[in-house]
Amino acid sequence: MNQDENLKQAPGVCVPWDEKKKEYPEIMGDEETVKRVWENVDTLGYLYIWNCLISF
Amino acid sequence: MPDHAEQLYQQRLKRYTTALRNGKPDCVPIRPFVAEFTAKYAGYTCQQVTHDFNLAFEAAIKCATDFDWDAVVGNMVYVWTGLVDAAGLKYYMIPGIDAPADGCFQYIEPADETSAHMLADEYDQLIANPTEFLANVWLPRVSRDVVAPGEPNTARNNLSWLKGGMATLQYFQAFGAQHERMKSECGVVPALMGCLKAPFDIIVDKLRGYNPMCMDLFQRPEKVAAACEAMAPHMMFNALAGADPEKNVPISLWMHRGCTPFLSPQQFERFYWPTLKEITIEIHKQGWQVLYYAEGDWDHHLKYFAELPEGSIIYHVDRGDIFEAHRVLGDKFCISGGVPNELLTFGTTQEVRDYCKKLIDGVGRDGGYIMDAGAIMQNDPKIENVQAMTDFTREYGVY
Repeated sequence: MNQDENLKQAPGVCVPWDEKKKEYPEIMGDEETVKRVWENVDTLGYLYIWNCLISF
Repeated sequence: MPDHAEQLYQQRLKRYTTALRNGKPDCVPIRPFVAEFTAKYAGYTCQQVTHDFNLAFEAAIKCATDFDWDAVVGNMVYVWTGLVDAAGLKYYMIPGIDAPADGCFQYIEPADETSAHMLADEYDQLIANPTEFLANVWLPRVSRDVVAPGEPNTARNNLSWLKGGMATLQYFQAFGAQHERMKSECGVVPALMGCLKAPFDIIVDKLRGYNPMCMDLFQRPEKVAAACEAMAPHMMFNALAGADPEKNVPISLWMHRGCTPFLSPQQFERFYWPTLKEITIEIHKQGWQVLYYAEGDWDHHLKYFAELPEGSIIYHVDRGDIFEAHRVLGDKFCISGGVPNELLTFGTTQEVRDYCKKLIDGVGRDGGYIMDAGAIMQNDPKIENVQAMTDFTREYGVY
């Protein structure tokens, strides 16, 4: 299935940082901050999808 | 927090966690899984507590205030149908909309291949990428509003994701405040945090349905086993995401379709148990316990549960033989439950007291036992019988 290749298999991830990072021209500041915040919010999307399945 | 509530909370926390770890506390803890019972007691309809979680929280607080219970779930009417409606999910009968206002919500399981939420030839897509399959195939199929990638977008699709996501955050964040109220107003411990499902169960319940799965077990068994493997890391991740940061209280496991006669012992051994065992052991290694809520009769499988590391689970008995469960598992694990729901519904208070005595004498004599009904209490148990279960346990269950 390739309807949306951004959704990868790892638990907790919808759009992996490695793919997201390619969309930036160059990160001039602290890349780790951008990565951490991206991943934290990305996990919320993951949890929503899985909570629909598991909890609701 | 009033001093007495803090004192009560600490006393109950110690009592509950001691029993959870199969120890002997000062007395038998009481931790009833009260769902729509809270509405009956607090004067609400099932519709009110199912569709408005704030009313469900109020009903839980009223019960926790009035009954002498050690631990309860902040809202055991766990499916907030307001969210279900907002996200357009089609698989529930919602009290007051699809069912009488004083009936309990019902899950509509796919009955056959034509109504399955995952088709027989879609196993490979699920196995390749479960998250992608759920977002792009399953949700569009089970929601009235979500559209699949490639289909014309709609405003209702956008709103379903937005409202569903925000409502989920609102609901789960509200549990933090609810737990604080339970502690500060009632001195009661949140009984569970985090939710685990066995990979096989979630595939049967929400993707295939039991009848289609029965065919899969013979027609494509390798796919079923591979799907369980693919789902396992996600089940564990989601369970740990909601687990108690203090590691005091267990993660729940609601067990559905693995017991006889739904599966043969051989099928249980091949499809149900390997991934569940692996997840349970890993969760235990990380410091949490799992409460196996053995809905139905799981007596044929006790020997498998006995393989698990000591203290890794709490074994909750519904319709199984609790005395046999205690004989097989009692050396390693805490046992809970066992009071028949039909007794709480149709019996007398004396019959309830007599049965509780039998449980305390037979299962709880050395600790490692938590008093509760066999199944989640909906709106049918008599209030006086739940009171009798509580009062008798307090009177007689002292070590």
